[in-house]
Amino acid sequence: MSTEFLPKKQALLFAAPAFIAILPFLGACFYILRFSLSAEQGTIEGLSIQAYRDLMTPFFGRSVWLTLKLAFIATIIVMVLAVPLAFVMTSLRSSFFRRLLTISILLPLILNLLVQAYGWILLLGPSGVLNSTLKAMGIIERPLFLLFNETGVLLGLVQTSLPLAVFPIVGAVRAISPEYLEAASSLGAGHWRTFRDVTVPLLRPELVGAASIVFAFNASAFAIPLLLGGRRVQMMGLVIRDMISPLFNWSGAAAAGMILIVLTLFVLVASSWLVRLTTTAKESS
Amino acid sequence: MRVGLLPTEGGGTYRFVILFLASIGILISALPVIVVTIMSFSASEYSSFPPTEFSFRWYFEVLQLFTNEDPSSAQSVVDSTITSLLVAFLVMIISTLVCVPLAYALARSGRNLREGMELLFTLPLVFPLVMLGIAFLLIAESLQLDLGIWRIAIPHIALVLPFVLRNCLSAMNGISVEIEEAAISLGASPLRAIWDVVIPLMKAGILAGLIFALIISFNEFTVTFFMYTIDVSTLPIWMYSRTVSSLDPATLALSVFIIVVDVFLVLLVDKLIAGRGNLF
Repeated sequence: MSTEFLPKKQALLFAAPAFIAILPFLGACFYILRFSLSAEQGTIEGLSIQAYRDLMTPFFGRSVWLTLKLAFIATIIVMVLAVPLAFVMTSLRSSFFRRLLTISILLPLILNLLVQAYGWILLLGPSGVLNSTLKAMGIIERPLFLLFNETGVLLGLVQTSLPLAVFPIVGAVRAISPEYLEAASSLGAGHWRTFRDVTVPLLRPELVGAASIVFAFNASAFAIPLLLGGRRVQMMGLVIRDMISPLFNWSGAAAAGMILIVLTLFVLVASSWLVRLTTTAKESS
Repeated sequence: MRVGLLPTEGGGTYRFVILFLASIGILISALPVIVVTIMSFSASEYSSFPPTEFSFRWYFEVLQLFTNEDPSSAQSVVDSTITSLLVAFLVMIISTLVCVPLAYALARSGRNLREGMELLFTLPLVFPLVMLGIAFLLIAESLQLDLGIWRIAIPHIALVLPFVLRNCLSAMNGISVEIEEAAISLGASPLRAIWDVVIPLMKAGILAGLIFALIISFNEFTVTFFMYTIDVSTLPIWMYSRTVSSLDPATLALSVFIIVVDVFLVLLVDKLIAGRGNLF
């Protein structure tokens, strides 16, 4: 296929409408950066890094730490669940079950987050399904507190970010040639050994890529900690919201946001660098 | 059967662990949606599970909310639903109209342009939604822009562009230049060749993109949470304001309606892209 079929000028003409459509987004990125460097809290005026300096508080530090911690744990759980799910999904022969599985995994990402929060509240709330069942069975006397704390937020994060990992891994699993696996098994490798020495190394670029997207997604989560975390789980998204809404500290919110953006971009760039490093190492060896 | 991934027989602990973890994954994904659906049919106010009695009580309540305007609430459910649909419709049309020519240009032009543009249009996908909401809010507020419904539609367009573009691109990837060249050599102008030959071949991908844009915009919560006003607000925001203090069973019935529509649309996308292309 020739790749230069379309002259560059014409190509740019075709791309122009889309560029106009994404312009507000680029403007927004720039505006946040500019606002974070404003000397005033409520308007853009002068240049100063005061907003960043004001963030050097133990409270904000704890929030950054909590955000990184929850996003990291959620990412680990998601990856541990996503790989088996991708295996099951690619080995399902019935297209009905494949569709059913696709929908039950994909839905949490796109469905209105409120609906899912309702589900968790009904399931895990103080008088929810789990607690009333356990109480009826006489296992517990007082309800377990699984919501409005870090456990609830973690569950929500895992649920909403799982599809981001499953679908790319499904694509990668499909691309694995069965001959590798057959060769491994005919050479006497067991299932675990094949998994460790053949499957995982073949999937590594996609695994790292998926994990970094899941991490970035979870680190910037907002609705899940808002709805499932109560007031106690102050992830960065919520802290930034509070700077805007009751406090009107717009430049502070912009600066905190820049920190969040830099953190997520750093993880994405570092992981793509890691992938490139491991693939070139594989090729040269 | 693939030997190492999921053995159909035997496999011992390996098979067990894989299936066990996959079931946990399915449970975490599906349980909340299932519970919401079951509880929406409960006859009682207080949620005991499983419900002792089933009824359509909450469905009638929702119906009433839609038919009887409540003058005491600032924003009625009818208004927010109309806004939601209008925004989703605008977002769907505009994002598709701009992504089809872009996908064409990217598939038919040099590598440099393609890589740069793909990177640019993936950015909204990894950009923190809170920040997007705040950035758009700051722009609208500090510049005192009166945008009406575009207040919500413009950020939504940025959000759906990556999804729509991916779908259009994967549709374009399967269409070889020869088909176009054949049309041109038969006397069609280049634009006519695109309109009559390429676009019809892209149809499935374009439709998948359209539906994705619709679903994402209709369900979007975070960015809208920052951008809504008393006059312009969407259904998810209405549901949030309804349940901010306690769970209102009527919103569960409404949720089930949204779930059904979303499932139907996802099935449609799945059918359209049928194993080719991918969802992201």
